[in-house]
Amino acid sequence: MRRWRIMASGFLLASQLSGCVQPTQPEALFQLMPESAAHRAMQTRLFETKDERELLSASAAVLQDLGFQVEESVREVGFLRAAKERSAREHGQDLTRFFIWIFSTPLLFLQQPPFMMPVDLHQKIAATLVARPLNTESTRQEIRIVFYRVVWKGEGMSGNQQIAPGEQRMEMVRDPGLYQQFFAKLSKAVFLEAYTL
Amino acid sequence: MKLRVIRGIVIIAGAVLLHGCAAPQPSQDLLAPTDAQMKIRTVQTRTFDVKDRQAAMRAVIAALQDLGFIIERANEPLGLVTAARFAEPNYYDVVGVTVTVRQESDDRMMIRANAIYNNKPIEDPKVYQNFFATLERSLFVTRP
Repeated sequence: MRRWRIMASGFLLASQLSGCVQPTQPEALFQLMPESAAHRAMQTRLFETKDERELLSASAAVLQDLGFQVEESVREVGFLRAAKERSAREHGQDLTRFFIWIFSTPLLFLQQPPFMMPVDLHQKIAATLVARPLNTESTRQEIRIVFYRVVWKGEGMSGNQQIAPGEQRMEMVRDPGLYQQFFAKLSKAVFLEAYTL
Repeated sequence: MKLRVIRGIVIIAGAVLLHGCAAPQPSQDLLAPTDAQMKIRTVQTRTFDVKDRQAAMRAVIAALQDLGFIIERANEPLGLVTAARFAEPNYYDVVGVTVTVRQESDDRMMIRANAIYNNKPIEDPKVYQNFFATLERSLFVTRP
C-alpha cells in the first residue's frame, strides 16, 4: 500500500516536471533543421540574368510598392532591409476580449473588476532581402527574402492588476502567400520569369 | 585604563571609516588576455582557402539565412555581418551573431564568429563547430 503511494507521488512529480519547457539549446540553433530546406524553397527564387544591380533596385521598388521603407542597403553584397509599421487590430481578438470580459463580470460579486485581455495594437513588418550570383559567370541570380514581424500589445486588466501596454512579441512570417505575392511582383518588374529551387 | 580602551576603539573605528574612502584600484590586468579568451578565440576563428572576400561574405550571409537568421547589418568594406534570430520555439530569447571576414593572405580568408544568447556570450565550442560546418557547405558546395 505504502509503495503504491510512493509510486503515485513519484508519477505526479514527474508529470509536473515534464510541464517545464526546456529552452532550446544554442547549439541546436546553429544547425540545419529538417524544415530549413522547405523555408529556403519558399523564400528563394532564381532569375536568369546577369544584372544583379537591376534585380536589387527592382526589389527595392517592389518593396516600396508594398508600402515598405528601405532602412538599409549594401550593394556590394546585395543586401536590403526594409520595414513598415501598421495597426495590428483584429476583430477576432476584440470579440474574444469582449466575451471574456462578459463572462468574467460575475467577479464583480467578489468585488473584483472583470478580466480585460490585452489585444495586439501595433505591428512592424520587416523584410531582409539578399541577392547573389549562383555561378561563377553570374548568369543566374538568386533572390532570398525573409519576412518577420514584431507585435506590440495594448493595455489590459487582470483583477486589480493593470497590464501595462507595450509587451512585445515577434514571429517569422511563414505564410507562402506573402512570398508568392512578392516574387510575382518582382518578376513582373524585371520582365523575367522567377524559377523555384 | 578605560580611557585608553576608548581611545583605541576610536582609532580603530576611524581607520576603518577612512579605509572605506579609498576607491578600489582597478587591477592592472583588466584588459590583459587570459587563457580562456585565447581558447574561445581559436574556437571562434577558422581560415578557409578562398580568394574572393566578397564571395566569402555572400557565403556567410547565405549560411546565416539557411540557419534561419535575420540579417540585420552588413558592411562590405569591413567584412562585417550582423544577424539575429529567436530561440524558436520560444520567441523571448534572442541569439545574435557577428561574423567578420578578413583576408589573411592572398588565397586564405579568416572568418571569425561571435555569438551571444540574450546578453551572454556563447562559449560552447559545439555552437561554432555547427556554424562553420554550415558555412563550409555554403562556401564550397555549388548549387544548381
